[in-house]
Amino acid sequence: MRSSRFVAFSLALVSVFAVACGNTLPPKELVDARAAYQSAAKGPAGQQAPAELHVAKQALDQAERAFSDDADSPETKDYAYIATRKAELADATARALIAQKDKEAAGRDASNLTAEQLRTARNELNSTKHNLEKTQDQLAAEKLAREAAEKKAAQALADLQKIASVTKEARGMVITLSGSVLFASNESTLLPAAMLKLNEVADALTKGNPDSNITVEGHTDSQGQKQYNQDLSKKRADAVRDQLVSRGVAQDRIKAVGIGSDRPIASNNTAEGRANNRRVEIIVEPPKHN
Amino acid sequence: MGTRTSLIISVGMLSVLAAACGSSVPPPNDRLASAEAAARSAKELGADNNPKAQLELKLATEQIDQAKKLMADGDNKRADLVLQRANADAELAVMLAKESNAKAEADKAQENVKNIKAGK
Repeated sequence: MRSSRFVAFSLALVSVFAVACGNTLPPKELVDARAAYQSAAKGPAGQQAPAELHVAKQALDQAERAFSDDADSPETKDYAYIATRKAELADATARALIAQKDKEAAGRDASNLTAEQLRTARNELNSTKHNLEKTQDQLAAEKLAREAAEKKAAQALADLQKIASVTKEARGMVITLSGSVLFASNESTLLPAAMLKLNEVADALTKGNPDSNITVEGHTDSQGQKQYNQDLSKKRADAVRDQLVSRGVAQDRIKAVGIGSDRPIASNNTAEGRANNRRVEIIVEPPKHN
Repeated sequence: MGTRTSLIISVGMLSVLAAACGSSVPPPNDRLASAEAAARSAKELGADNNPKAQLELKLATEQIDQAKKLMADGDNKRADLVLQRANADAELAVMLAKESNAKAEADKAQENVKNIKAGK
């Protein structure tokens, strides 16, 4: 009777303890573990590291089981400690993966950018090369054209020198034709032979100096009346101009002037000097655009 | 008399069981090896350059030492648990170091992209 009362008392005491145990607050480690898991689950681990997060959950469950089995067991603290690390591990794994992906993305960006820059540079190079080739072609063509023109001009000059006296002066190239070759005395009509000669001159001018302005000057000796000489020289200059124009020299770049006896090139006191003074000069001005 | 006998028998059996338990836990050599390997690799990854990783590595190392002492004393059961803790710390140290390295590399790569964009 007495012993059974003792047993009942003991049982009651144990029950009280058991109830007390059930109400025992969780250790700090378990509280930390719960918080660590919550934090990890809310973070990027759910997406990036689900396996690690699952392991963390299992570790937390183990700690919770140890706690509910025996609230005072030292293992609860150990398992909670481990669970906290597993949760942090899941979180760190996720962050490391994100950093890794960031790095890879940046690497792709870099190589794309580099490739793009390379492409741009290559295009620019090609374009420059193309332009250079074009310029070289143009230069070569211009050189050829210039050489051809120079050759033509030289040929034209050579042709002219065969039929007339050609001098280079400040006013241009001066082709001097003797009056007696062109005209009969006191006439302003070209002799047939003169026409042929002037045609050669015209050909040389159109070939060698197609852009130059041309002045035809008629000159006489000092014999006779001045006005008569003036008119005669003008008529002769006109005749020469007309002949040149008829042979293809552009009309708008050639003019004729009568100088009369105003500009002798030799003495009028001798027959030879007077013969030299009777002349027609064709002055070819240097081309303006050069 | 009968109850006392059964009590004695029960206590005796429990003692035997307890003894069996204590001696039947083998030394946690595998756990020790893996904890040491993890701690080593954390160190190699530069855990000492990151304060949090460094702390975890220190905890792991201390607990490995503690576990070795427990094993020497024959408390394999406790040693096993301590090594589980050490493993968790060492693995965390490894990952924190990896994270730190990956972030540094990502920063470098992003800086590189910025430089390319700036045309350097």
